[in-house]
Amino acid sequence: MISPQANILFTEVYGLEADPAEGPWIPTDKLLEVAKALYEAGFNYFSYCAAAHYPATEEEEGYYNVSYRVRIVGKNGQEAAFRVRVPLGEETPSLAGIWAGADWQEREQYDLIGVKFTNHPDLRRLMMPENWDGHPLQKEYAIDTPHHPWR
Amino acid sequence: MTTTNTTNDQFKHLNLPPAITDLPRNNPHISIDDYDPEGDLLVMNLGPQHPSTHGVLRVKLWMDGEVCVKAVPYIGYLHRGVEKLCEHRTYVQITPLVDKNDYVCPMTNELAVNIAFENALGVTPPPRAQVIRTIVAEMQRMSSHLLAVGTWALDLGGALGGGATAFMHTFREREMLLDCFEELTGARFHYNHHTVGGVRHDIPESWSTHVLKALDIIEAKIDSYEGYLTENQVFKARSVGVGILDPKLGLELGISGPNIRASGVDWDLRRDAPFAAYDLVDVKVATAQAGDCYARYQVRIAEMRESVRLVRFFMKNIPTGPICALKQVKLATAVKIPANFSGYTCIETARGELGTWLVTPPGKKKSAMPYRLKIRPPSLHAVSALPWVCPGNNLSDIIAILGSMDPIMGEVDR
Repeated sequence: MISPQANILFTEVYGLEADPAEGPWIPTDKLLEVAKALYEAGFNYFSYCAAAHYPATEEEEGYYNVSYRVRIVGKNGQEAAFRVRVPLGEETPSLAGIWAGADWQEREQYDLIGVKFTNHPDLRRLMMPENWDGHPLQKEYAIDTPHHPWR
Repeated sequence: MTTTNTTNDQFKHLNLPPAITDLPRNNPHISIDDYDPEGDLLVMNLGPQHPSTHGVLRVKLWMDGEVCVKAVPYIGYLHRGVEKLCEHRTYVQITPLVDKNDYVCPMTNELAVNIAFENALGVTPPPRAQVIRTIVAEMQRMSSHLLAVGTWALDLGGALGGGATAFMHTFREREMLLDCFEELTGARFHYNHHTVGGVRHDIPESWSTHVLKALDIIEAKIDSYEGYLTENQVFKARSVGVGILDPKLGLELGISGPNIRASGVDWDLRRDAPFAAYDLVDVKVATAQAGDCYARYQVRIAEMRESVRLVRFFMKNIPTGPICALKQVKLATAVKIPANFSGYTCIETARGELGTWLVTPPGKKKSAMPYRLKIRPPSLHAVSALPWVCPGNNLSDIIAILGSMDPIMGEVDR
C-alpha cells in the first residue's frame, strides 16, 4: 500500500495519478527526478525492481511494465511504489545512482526480461551465462527452448 | 551521498591510489586496471564448489597479499528458472515449487506465495489456520537459525578448535524440529503444507507435547551454544569488527532481516506489517548496533529465544475451527484469480523480507496461472553487499562474512 506521504508527493508535486497498490505510471523522462525526490524524502530502502513483458497485440504496441518499490523502514514505516511503461526496443533510466540496490535488481531484469537501462554502471547478465541467447522470461520464449550446454 | 563501509586505516599499508582508499560510491564498478596496471594483484576464485560458500557461489577476488582489494560475486549456478516455471503452473501447483527456493526454511516460502494469492482473491484464512501458520513459521525460523549458527561456527572451525562441536549440536536440535514437521506434514523438508486459504494438514493429537518438549530442550541448548561461542576469545577474534555493514548502505542495497537488524535498524515485518497471526502477539525485535559478524550472530541467537517464546504462546492459544477458508482443493485449476491484477505482499522469513509480486494476465477471463510472479529473495540482496563489504578484509575474514550473512543459494539464483 502506498503511504500518504508518498501519495502527496506523487499527486500534488508531480500531478500523477497513483494506484493504491502499484503507484503511478511515471513517464521515463521524469523517472530520475521523481526517484531523487523520493530518496530525499527518506525512502532509502530499495525493496525491488521487477519487470513484466507485454508483447504487441492487435490493439496496442508491446511494452515492459517496470515496477519499483521503496520504503522508509521502522516502526511507522512507509512504502512507496511507482512504475514506468517502456515500449519494446526503448530504454529506461537506471536508478543505480540513487539506490545502490538497484544495480543488481536491474541487471536481473535485463537478464531475464530484456529491459535495457540507460547509464547503468555494469549491465551484464546476472543469472544466465554470458553466451545465452534471448531473455527467458519474455512471453515469446518457449519454456522448452533448446540451449547450449552450460559451461 | 558517499558511503564508506571500512576505515581508511585498513588500507594504509597498501599504498593504494585514492580511488580505493576512499571507497567511493561506485567502488564495486571501479576498473581494476586503473589501480593495478602491472597486474601485480593475485586473482583468485572463492568457490564455486566449496563448503564455506554455502552453496554454489563464486566470488572472484583480487588479493594484495592476504588482503582483498576487489570482490565480484558471480551467481546463477543454481538458476532453475523458477519464475518461468511459475508462469506455466497453476496457483495450486506453485506451492510445492517455491519450497525449493530457500531450502532451509521452506515453510515461509510457501506462506509468502499463498499470502500473495489470498491477497489477490480477497480471502482471509480462518483463525486456526493463521495460528498454525505462525507456529510453523517460527519453528522454521528456529531451525534455519540453528543451521546458520552451526555452519558458520564450522566455517570458523579451524581457529575455534572444535567449531564442529557447535555444528553437530545445532544440527542435533534442528533434527527435533524436523521430526515435528514430519509428524505434521509427512515430509522433512518440502512440506507443501500451506494452501490458498489456509493449511492442508491439521495438528495431530500428540503434536503439541512433542513440540513443547523440543522447545524445552532447545531453550536449554541455546545457553550451551552461548557457553562455547559467545565469550569464546578465538570466536570473538574472528568475528568482532569484521565485515561491518553500514546501515545506510545496507538499506539502500535492500538488505533485511537479521543482517540489517545487526546494523542497528529496528525493523521487523512481523511487528511493523503483521501477517498470519502476528498481530495477536507483541514481537520483541532483537537488534545490535555494531553491524559486524558478531552482531549478526548475536541477533540470530536472540531471535531463536524469541521464537521459543512465540511458539509457546501460540501453542497455548490455538483456536478451534476449520483450517482452510476454501473447500479443500482437489483440482489443480481450482483457484482462479481475476485478470489485470497486480500487487505485492511480503513476509519476514528467517533471512528477511521475502516478497511476491503477482501479475495476472491481461484480458477479461479469470485465470488459474499467473502472468508474472517475481519472488523477491532476501538472500540475493545479502550477496549483493559482498563487493561493498569484502574489500579491506583478509581472505579468512571473507569466509566469516559470507557465513554470517547466511545466504541460501537456491533462493539467490532461483
